Amino acid sequence: MAVLALDTSAAVAVSLVDEDGARLASRTSDERRRHAESLAPLIEEVLAEAGVEPSGLTAVVAGTGPAPFTGLRVGLVTARTLALTIGVPVLGVPSLDALAVQAVSDLGLRSGAEILATSDARRKEVYWARYRVISHEGPHGVPVVERLAGPDVDRAGFVAQAQLAAPDTEDGQLPVVVGEGAMLYPEFLPVADDAPLVPDATVLARLALVRREADEEQPAEPLYLRRPDVHEPGRVPTGATTGSGATTGAAGGVA
Amino acid sequence: MAEPLVLGIETSCDETGVALVRGNELLVDAVASSMEEHARYGGIIPEVASRAHLEAMIPTIQKALGDADVDLSEIDAVAVTAGPGLVGPLTIGASAAKALSIGLNKPLYGVNHVIGHACVDQLVDGPLPERAMALVVSGGHSSLLMVDDIATDVTELGSTLDDAAGEAFDKVGRLLGLPYPGGPHVDRLAREGDPTAIRFPRGLTAAKDQAKHAYDFSFSGLKTAVARWVEARTDAGQAIPVHDVAASFAEAVADVLTAKTIAACHKHGVDTLVIGGGFSANSQLREMAAKRCAEAGIDLRIPPIRYCTDNGAMIAALGSAVVRAGVAPSSLDIPVDSSMPLTTITV
Repeated sequence: MAVLALDTSAAVAVSLVDEDGARLASRTSDERRRHAESLAPLIEEVLAEAGVEPSGLTAVVAGTGPAPFTGLRVGLVTARTLALTIGVPVLGVPSLDALAVQAVSDLGLRSGAEILATSDARRKEVYWARYRVISHEGPHGVPVVERLAGPDVDRAGFVAQAQLAAPDTEDGQLPVVVGEGAMLYPEFLPVADDAPLVPDATVLARLALVRREADEEQPAEPLYLRRPDVHEPGRVPTGATTGSGATTGAAGGVA
Repeated sequence: MAEPLVLGIETSCDETGVALVRGNELLVDAVASSMEEHARYGGIIPEVASRAHLEAMIPTIQKALGDADVDLSEIDAVAVTAGPGLVGPLTIGASAAKALSIGLNKPLYGVNHVIGHACVDQLVDGPLPERAMALVVSGGHSSLLMVDDIATDVTELGSTLDDAAGEAFDKVGRLLGLPYPGGPHVDRLAREGDPTAIRFPRGLTAAKDQAKHAYDFSFSGLKTAVARWVEARTDAGQAIPVHDVAASFAEAVADVLTAKTIAACHKHGVDTLVIGGGFSANSQLREMAAKRCAEAGIDLRIPPIRYCTDNGAMIAALGSAVVRAGVAPSSLDIPVDSSMPLTTITV
């Protein structure tokens, strides 16, 4: 039995893990504007490599962003439909949660350290969320982090001002900046050396397993964080962001 | 041996459609629409439509299966609109279809939306004859197709060079101050007006257009002519005879569409005409096509309106036709194509 995880919040990442979170097969594609073409063949490839039939899946996990809309939806509708087809639950994990958890492992962060996880929101903005490390290693070897703020979408300069102005963490350090959103704005958001840049689908799968065991709700709903670019005739366009999904909550092994 | 059961998915614009077809029999046709959301904005907003498609996809698949009392495991093939249409909405349907194909281990067929509008008639009137003409008219398309084999051989004789017929109706509706979408309102007013009251221009019907655009359409000039006429009346402080304007405009559209289509039937020796697409609901078009086809000895086939608007049935019908014809399935990496050529039946 296995769990399939997909993330289309940045590029395309697909991973198949067993029930303990051990990776069976994974694929990534760097295509940023061809998610709909890339994703399905990669799913077939990981299933074939691991010799797992779709009927051998117990859940399908999708990264819920936040992310540019069209690519994000490719992952969500694929995960939801595949899950429906084989009669298993679809589990949603915010993609920035996976990025933060990866950062703990990749950078060897300790309890109390904080992470500013970012992704490219285009239009000169970044999606971001801030996390605190609770434990370096939790169930399934997944670091436990707690989301302190975000996810939200703002200009990099504004995020830097609000989140990186002064060392205000428990350990007296600035949050560690990770993710490719920040890579675009090094003048505001200096990315840590060796920091993870895009979500790893294997980590996404493990997070979903941990949360499933903890009976957490895992809605596979898109974190758009922006309204569609429209305005009703006679009304001024607002450009305001919505608060949808922008709740603070625990991410990782503890609620 | 029963014919294959084909599930069809349509998401090229604002309707999420899922249908099941076996052979030429429609088992179920489920549709969710985001039109009410778009009415607020006076037009289709692709991002609003895309979000609605994502939310509607699973419930619409479930409704189709439930209403037909069919289990997913019974499905033999999955067909989906690969284009033409809006990229964001198309992407949702294509991704869902690919997931179904993987999950069920059944072949995928990416098919052409416009050809689906012609093919859906087979569910109502049975197989098309060896050669038929198809006029597909809607808010997004106005195309004249010669169909030698709906699954493998379609020729595009002509298309609109600018606005689609339904789009021109919506725009005239707007300039007459009617609610969105204006098309049905213009149609309603036109039924009470005098179609000969105003002589509006017939696009691309001049002798000089016959060489290159014999079967192409243009409704942008007509729309402008209506706007000018209304403007001149308004400037002169005169009341606008909206019924007559609507009737004369509708007459011009129906006249051009039917005249060119029947000329094409004569030219190519075709005696069956299918009219499909949402604009086939238009009263003037139906009346004039019926009259002119009867005079010309052409068998006119217009499916009931619920088959003519965007729906999964048309895609399942075309999927069924291509499966029967033994066309090779699509690969899982097919793209969606917002401007898919009308000679491309499957990708």
